[in-house]
Amino acid sequence: MSELIFFAICFIVMALCLLIRFIIGPSVADRAVAADSIDILADMALIIFALYSGRSVFLDIAFITAILGFVGSTIVARYLEGRL
Amino acid sequence: MKKSSFGSVISTAILCYLFWLLITGQIVQIFTGGASVQVLIAGVLVSILVGAFSGRFFIHESPFYLWNPKRFFTFLVYCICIFPIELFKANVDVAKRAFSPSLPVNPGIVKIPVDVKSEYAQSMVANSITLTPGTITMDIVEEEGQTYYYIHWIDVATEDGREAGDAIKGTMEKWIRRIWE
Amino acid sequence: MRIAIDVFIVFSIIFALAGVIGMLRMPDAYCRMQSSTNIATFGVLGVIIGGVLYSAFILHDGGMTVKLIGMGVFYIITAPISGHAIAKGAYHHRVEMDEKTVCDAYGEDMVEEE
Repeated sequence: MSELIFFAICFIVMALCLLIRFIIGPSVADRAVAADSIDILADMALIIFALYSGRSVFLDIAFITAILGFVGSTIVARYLEGRL
Repeated sequence: MKKSSFGSVISTAILCYLFWLLITGQIVQIFTGGASVQVLIAGVLVSILVGAFSGRFFIHESPFYLWNPKRFFTFLVYCICIFPIELFKANVDVAKRAFSPSLPVNPGIVKIPVDVKSEYAQSMVANSITLTPGTITMDIVEEEGQTYYYIHWIDVATEDGREAGDAIKGTMEKWIRRIWE
Repeated sequence: MRIAIDVFIVFSIIFALAGVIGMLRMPDAYCRMQSSTNIATFGVLGVIIGGVLYSAFILHDGGMTVKLIGMGVFYIITAPISGHAIAKGAYHHRVEMDEKTVCDAYGEDMVEEE
């Protein structure tokens, strides 16, 4: 199924578009939200690639990336609130 | 700091053990045979350790409240039928706003009253509100026995608390009260 | 079956595209967070449902199916937590709101407390 790889490329292109917001974002919160969303989009691309190749190693990588993204954005939020 | 009760430790350990089975891929091999006994025993030890340290942060009230067929069935109905409908409506709404050329946003923070009592129900209402695009819960306060949420809303139709609450919560609050009370 | 999987994934690409465009166009940080919730809910759910169908009916791989369902539940649980934390943190950091903002009950109550 070669269209799966095309869908994965779509997600990667959207993640690259979000890099614009990550670079120009005027405040810290914009950058945190953009980084979180880039993380989720890259995970989606990894899941689709895991389906395409039929190997579940990529699913494990996507899972770990999701956990790290959640922990990272929560820690950034806590720092912004001034309680770290 | 609260002392961790036995129930909270056990329930957190069960959750951790399910997660362990999921990550190591043993959850299918248990049914098909060929699960490794060493991995299963190591999982039990690790999850009890994690439960003993972190149970008191997760569980404050009755830990096995959902262990009741009627409540669990209502919970499943809420998660599978009721909530996705609200989610779909809100998603389409926000997507239309993003695509439309004039960008019709009307943002603001409103304060709405919420009529659920238990901690689980309050956090579930707050998470449902945040998960629907267009509304984000910013804080929870309690004034004179009544709980209020501060909600950032992308399209403020009314600043009055009651009407805004009805528009934001929709049918979700009724169902959550049916689960937890 | 393959057509159904493709439909689910394209559906989720459309919503993720709406979220990305919203994040690039919205006027202030809080409105951008609303658009990012769009990515984190339907952008994820379409791919997860499509992936569950694909791994169950085409690859016949039970471990992958269960893992995908677990990932879906994990995303749905963690997305509102990080969204709420960033919104509250940004407000306490005094990230300013757009001039289109209609009302700000939170700010008024914070001023009264001080």
